[in-house]
Amino acid sequence: MTSLLSIRDLTVRFETPRGLLVAVRDVNLEIPHGTSMGIVGESGSGKTVMSRAAMGLLSGSNVRREGAIFFGEKELTAMSREEVRNEFGTGMAMIFQDPMTALNPVRRIGSQLAESLRVRLGLDKKAARLRSIELLSSVKIPDPESQLEKFPFQLSGGMRQRVMIAIAISCNPKLLFADEPTTALDVTVQSQILQLLSELRRDLDMSMVLVTHDLGVVAGNTDYVAVMYAGEIVEQATTVDLFANMKMPYTEALLNSIPKINSQSGARLRVIEGRLPDPTQRPSGCGFAARCSYVQAKCTAEHPPLVDAGNGHLYRCWFPLGNTIARKQ
Amino acid sequence: MFKRFQQADWFTRVSVIWLFIVGLCAVFGRALPLWNPLESDFESLGVGLGSPNHFLGTDSNGYDLLSNVVVGAQTSALISLVSVGVGGLIGATFGVVAAYRRGRFDYVVNTVFNIFLSVPNLVLGLTLVAVLATSSDPSVPVSVNRRTFVIIVSLTVVIIPILGRIARGATLVWVNRDFVVAARSMGMRDKDIIMKHIVPNVLPAIYAVGFLAFGVVIVAEGALSLLGVGVIDGVSWGSMIARVAGDYEFAPHSLYVPAVVLAITVISCNQVGEYLRSRLDLREGKI
Amino acid sequence: MFTFRLQSFVRRAAQLVVVLVGSTFLLAMLLLLLPVGMEELFVVAVDEAGRLEQLKRLRLDRNPVFGYLGWLWDFVRGDFGPIIYPGAGEDAVSDRVARALPISLLIVLYVQVVALLVAVPLGIATAYRAGSKGEKVVSYSLFAASAIPNFVFALLLAAFFGVTLGWLPPLGYVPLSEDVVGHLRTMVLPVLALAIPTVATYTRLLRTDVIAALREDYVTMAVSKGLSNKRILLTHVLRPSSVTLFTSAALNMGGLIGGTLVIEQIFSIPGMGSEIALAIFGRQYFALQSYVALIAVGYVLFNVLVDVLVGVVDPRARGRRNV
Repeated sequence: MTSLLSIRDLTVRFETPRGLLVAVRDVNLEIPHGTSMGIVGESGSGKTVMSRAAMGLLSGSNVRREGAIFFGEKELTAMSREEVRNEFGTGMAMIFQDPMTALNPVRRIGSQLAESLRVRLGLDKKAARLRSIELLSSVKIPDPESQLEKFPFQLSGGMRQRVMIAIAISCNPKLLFADEPTTALDVTVQSQILQLLSELRRDLDMSMVLVTHDLGVVAGNTDYVAVMYAGEIVEQATTVDLFANMKMPYTEALLNSIPKINSQSGARLRVIEGRLPDPTQRPSGCGFAARCSYVQAKCTAEHPPLVDAGNGHLYRCWFPLGNTIARKQ
Repeated sequence: MFKRFQQADWFTRVSVIWLFIVGLCAVFGRALPLWNPLESDFESLGVGLGSPNHFLGTDSNGYDLLSNVVVGAQTSALISLVSVGVGGLIGATFGVVAAYRRGRFDYVVNTVFNIFLSVPNLVLGLTLVAVLATSSDPSVPVSVNRRTFVIIVSLTVVIIPILGRIARGATLVWVNRDFVVAARSMGMRDKDIIMKHIVPNVLPAIYAVGFLAFGVVIVAEGALSLLGVGVIDGVSWGSMIARVAGDYEFAPHSLYVPAVVLAITVISCNQVGEYLRSRLDLREGKI
Repeated sequence: MFTFRLQSFVRRAAQLVVVLVGSTFLLAMLLLLLPVGMEELFVVAVDEAGRLEQLKRLRLDRNPVFGYLGWLWDFVRGDFGPIIYPGAGEDAVSDRVARALPISLLIVLYVQVVALLVAVPLGIATAYRAGSKGEKVVSYSLFAASAIPNFVFALLLAAFFGVTLGWLPPLGYVPLSEDVVGHLRTMVLPVLALAIPTVATYTRLLRTDVIAALREDYVTMAVSKGLSNKRILLTHVLRPSSVTLFTSAALNMGGLIGGTLVIEQIFSIPGMGSEIALAIFGRQYFALQSYVALIAVGYVLFNVLVDVLVGVVDPRARGRRNV
């Protein structure tokens, strides 16, 4: 059975005054029906660019996209812009990081919600209104009818995010991109939203791509995880396997940098030293070499390829964790 | 500052160079070996560009256009520099102090600004010039110097609320920032806070609008001349245009020359003002 | 929310009064600076009784402040005072205004309509094609055009199209009621002269705002909903972008009125601009007071209108005061 979303050899470059910027390099991903995949990486890793490129939302005269993207049987990269737009809403949808900027500040919630319903599904005003109320209930917004008349700035952050989710699922998409859906929210609300997303996924039989910088977020909420660094996928596995048999030093470092609630107070936060390599000048070896605790000579010399550990667990490292040769420096 | 000049785009650099040239003409104009701007060369009335004795030609009165442009720069520059300089200083002072102190003083100052701003610039300027330049005996025209003085005063009054409002707006942005509150809480005197903290941050905005104001004043001088209350018997770009008004057919280039010079100068002022403003926005964005 | 509106409305009305009174009062006080007394200018009488009577009528026999208040009282009741030709009778200012004001208003209306009709599509087009060579050319030209004073355009247009080519009358005015075609022909050049720099300014404004709006997340979200470009433009992009444009269009009224002053002189059109010029050169300072007052009133009214419109278009601004 074909995957729901299939990304093949995706490369995205930006032409900037400073040079050619490679944001995403040779990414391959398959997202089967009814699953959820997490894409994890720090800011600048290319995860957002990739998700927008996958959906076809990248615009601008300086964007160069290569590779193929298949949505079911349809090849999106071969279709015209209008044809791709046709898939939006009903096939694929996206929720964005900051609901305050992603919702139109001068229009009421109700009208923004009804917009998709009326334009994409052809509902009339009354039916759209009823359906909007249903949708708001499904995202657990209390007293939905009175919320329809409100403006985004009149709602709390969590509510706004729920409204955005409601808009995204309004046309029953099969695939939902969630771009850092919880980053702008505080912790208690975060877990509520993640739980809501899981429930909706089950009820609507929807696949999800969850983009985040926080490994903790993907832990209980995804079936698969792909870790991105400097525009490439550096580790990919089922979520369970990733945490159980972590291979990439980078993934380990990410995990360690999450502050733990039971650590000693006053203990220093563990950070990953250094910065991402300059995207206009890719280093010859591994992109993480300059910051890796296990770095060896070979790491800076040759660029590691993506290899399969055997069970579909992919990694890109000369000296993966658990390897007896590697020694912590 | 020179480094910033080198960083700017070519359009801005050309504008600055042009303004510099205008400034040079303004300072050294009369010393240059040019025709007397108000001396008629009866042998070459209305000759075109590139004529033997007259580089830019002459108008229908025989006045050499090049010297009129160069010497006229002095008048135009003088008028705009003083009006914008003095007007800006007065307006900005009131604006900054008003925004800083708030309360009743602010209300009064703001209302006064609004009152003056409710009359369109040209109407206000025209009214002031007309009233102040009235001579007691209608048959004796007012002297050129008095005219110039009156124009400067009138345009200063027009500029005061314009720059004053900008200064006030800019100050309001900064006056509530934490570092001002902190300074106050440490017992710093108001005067010092204003000079050390507020003014340096407000100054860029004022510069930017100030350049635009130069352009406005130069145009206003032209408009006033066209209406007949400018420095008509004197030498200025506006009076050049005014003199042409009826004689276009005879010597069309005598209209184009001052018009083009005026336009380029205003464009340059606008460009420099825009450039300063965009640099200011960048700065704000970083904060 | 309703009381908010009422509050701000009252505040605006108070502001109108303050501005009106303030500007005219200042003008009245300014007139005291005249080296020539008002009395000398206007009072010509055969005998003492006639002189006293005239003084009384012109309110010159009392304290200037009371004189001003008297004028103000008349003004708000619609009596704008006289234009006096000493020794040769007088005109009522209100009559002259009634004739001249509609003409100027018509010109300003034409200019705003033409400017907006051209600037809106042009602004949108240049925003969508930002960065392309053609757009850069257009933008630079607009920048230059917005810096060139309107009277320069006027002179050039009048000289070129009016005199050299003779296509359009360089002078004169034909009322609409008389001859529509003639009216329009006399209006083309003056309106163009004022409209060209206005179009340039408006287009640049709209372009900046549309570009900013297109970068907003909610536009990307709208695209992700599968909406068409046209729909996104109309419902998501234009509304926030048009706020600045409306505000500027209204604030520009002042500049346009000043512009008509010069343009009417150049094209010999008997509008308010010409009236004001006549009053100034004819030393009709009483009439001038009324003219200035009218302009001030118009300007503030326009500001109120703009504030209301902005409140309609952008609900975040409702009830909020313009700082």
